[in-house]
Amino acid sequence: MYAVLHTPDFPVQAAARQHLELRKRSFVLLDGEPPSETVYAANKPARALGIEVGMSKLQAQSVPGITAIPRMREHEESAHTILHETVCYFSPRIEAVETHPGTFALDIRGMNSLFGDAAQLAGKLRQRIMAVGFLANIAVSQNFHAAVCLARGRPGITVVPPGEEANAIGPLPVSVLNPAPEQAETFASWGIYTCAELAALSENDLISRIGQAGKRLHSMAHGEWPHLMFPTEPSFESGLVEREELDHPVEMLESLLFLLARMTNELLGRVKAKARAIASLRVVMTLERGTDGQQRTYERTVRPALPLEDGRTLLKLLELDLETHRPDAAIVALELHAQSAAPHRAQHGLFMPQAPEPGKLEVLLARLRKLLGENQVGSPELLDDNRQDAFRMAPFVPPPPVKARKSVGTVPTALRVYRPPQPIGVSLNESLPIQVFWNGQRYVVAEFAGPWRLSGQWWSESNWNREEWDVRLACGGATQTCRIARDPSSNCWYVQGTYD
Amino acid sequence: MSAAAILRAQIEEKLANRIPAAVSLKIKQPPELLPTGITEIDAMLDGGIPRGCITEISGASSTGRTSFGLCSVATITRCGAACAWVDVCDALSPESAAAAGVELKRLLWLRAGGERQHTKEQVLSRLEQAIKATGLLLKAGGFAAIVLDMSDIHSRHTMRIPLSTWYSFRLAAEQARTALIFLTQSPCASSCAALILHCEPASINPLSAAGETALFESQQHILARERNRNEGASFAQKKPLGRSTWQTETTWSRVR
Repeated sequence: MYAVLHTPDFPVQAAARQHLELRKRSFVLLDGEPPSETVYAANKPARALGIEVGMSKLQAQSVPGITAIPRMREHEESAHTILHETVCYFSPRIEAVETHPGTFALDIRGMNSLFGDAAQLAGKLRQRIMAVGFLANIAVSQNFHAAVCLARGRPGITVVPPGEEANAIGPLPVSVLNPAPEQAETFASWGIYTCAELAALSENDLISRIGQAGKRLHSMAHGEWPHLMFPTEPSFESGLVEREELDHPVEMLESLLFLLARMTNELLGRVKAKARAIASLRVVMTLERGTDGQQRTYERTVRPALPLEDGRTLLKLLELDLETHRPDAAIVALELHAQSAAPHRAQHGLFMPQAPEPGKLEVLLARLRKLLGENQVGSPELLDDNRQDAFRMAPFVPPPPVKARKSVGTVPTALRVYRPPQPIGVSLNESLPIQVFWNGQRYVVAEFAGPWRLSGQWWSESNWNREEWDVRLACGGATQTCRIARDPSSNCWYVQGTYD
Repeated sequence: MSAAAILRAQIEEKLANRIPAAVSLKIKQPPELLPTGITEIDAMLDGGIPRGCITEISGASSTGRTSFGLCSVATITRCGAACAWVDVCDALSPESAAAAGVELKRLLWLRAGGERQHTKEQVLSRLEQAIKATGLLLKAGGFAAIVLDMSDIHSRHTMRIPLSTWYSFRLAAEQARTALIFLTQSPCASSCAALILHCEPASINPLSAAGETALFESQQHILARERNRNEGASFAQKKPLGRSTWQTETTWSRVR
């Protein structure tokens, strides 16, 4: 048993839901590239005034009392998502009828224990749809296509008993069967206007005249054409979006945080309902038009190391990120996209080593990044390169504790690095350093070891070459051991670091 | 019961809602010790550096402060705990850290500065950043050890840090059970530090020996314990100041 929900004039209803002031006015939706826009859809009062689909913008605007607005696909997508979410309450098996936007077929077998018989279910479904701001026709039938035709052709609720499909469809016009334009023209030339008239024709004669499509249309007119249902799972990830348009451009970040808090909690609620957590949040801000008149967007993504379920932590991360990277113009619209993931689960123990809590750690790292800079916070990761100081900053994600490993044995001498290397003056005696002038002081080279010649990347433009010396520098009574180097290409000397 | 004891009991009873055990002596347990991984120093310190306290390691350049800090952090990270290194002058060498055995993934490195040759204002700004970052780390908790590396900052700058900062750090470290290690040129945390160690150069190992090609292989250091405030021990049990000689070796000397 199928219940089909059809939203008549779906684009019009989707637009009216976004612009409530349009509900009592005659309006049309325009589609296409300016200036050759045409009427894509019109509401009932506009059609009563003579507006037809396909009219040019100028023709439509010449009719007095008509409001023309551009078609917004985002509004239709949003309306589609809301309808889908609503029908999901009534059946786990749902198929979106692709040929008719805003039409959904529900397999309602076994749902009577929850919602009553077919008529009661249809009534509750219609009420729920009206509560979210849509007007819909609902038809219940044992045949999928018969239910679709009835939902499209009859207003309100229609429940067809099994075996009565042909009688129910009979008075409907042939157009509900969705024939191709040339087939519709042929039927009109034959004087066939209703489904009952089409069903009365001989199947073989119909096939011999219009081909195999005739068999399908004949069978549909009888309410017998079979259908293999492909229930569509709602795309959960793509639905994790919240949008908000602002009445006035907003510059203050604090004002936006109120909106972001509501949107984050809304997304988190949806994600938690599926026993998941938020892995990343992407904020897309539409900025006010600049002097060039171009509409710009500004994006920031917050991606915690572990999926989070705490709204306050996520909001704090967003706040810190946006404070660090502020948009350069006022904001007129806001979108928040979320990506979900399985929540992080960790087995704690009394004797586990100390480790920062994941939620607190994320906020801490965001605060530190704000304080010190984006690339100044993290874990060092060595690169496979012979160049000195070859490393990159990786995100700090401490791995789970493991069994303690044994120590190396000896204590290695640490080098304190100068970033960038400090230039120095060096006095040479037969190519060997004897004095170093550094920071306005003269150091005597008490001992040296070297030169150690290193080079790399000789095959590319970023080739490097240097001579390194380990020197013990004495100044007054103090000594220090340093690594100095000479660049043979420029013959410049510099200190790379101090052994400490 | 004596009159003083009765009076004390009455005061405590009155203040019980606001300050529990207001005038009773708080018995502190001796702090847990984290081994440094250097046998000689662990023997001198009776096990290692104290957890939940401030340890200050001061000394001039090339006296082994950084090697000591890295070795301590390596021992802690090898046990599975997380550590942080607040680098005021951006001088930490990840290669040296890896050679010391630090598990780099468990090390949070905060680089406060850029170039070293800066004006006085920039030095102070870097220090302020590092102090703020250390405060945030202590507040968040979860780190077994935090190293505040001020080795290249002149003592005239570190001495300007108000004492209240060190007091707040001491309390925060105690609550977070974090070993807070300062690497400085001269001691600056004064009475807030539970353990003060001074690094000195020891006898110089010549770079070339027995006519071989000169090679920098090792350095000798002396670590002197200037203060060890073991709060669990009575005054009479306090140990006299100790000194220990230890050695660091370059990574390439292992293959010679």
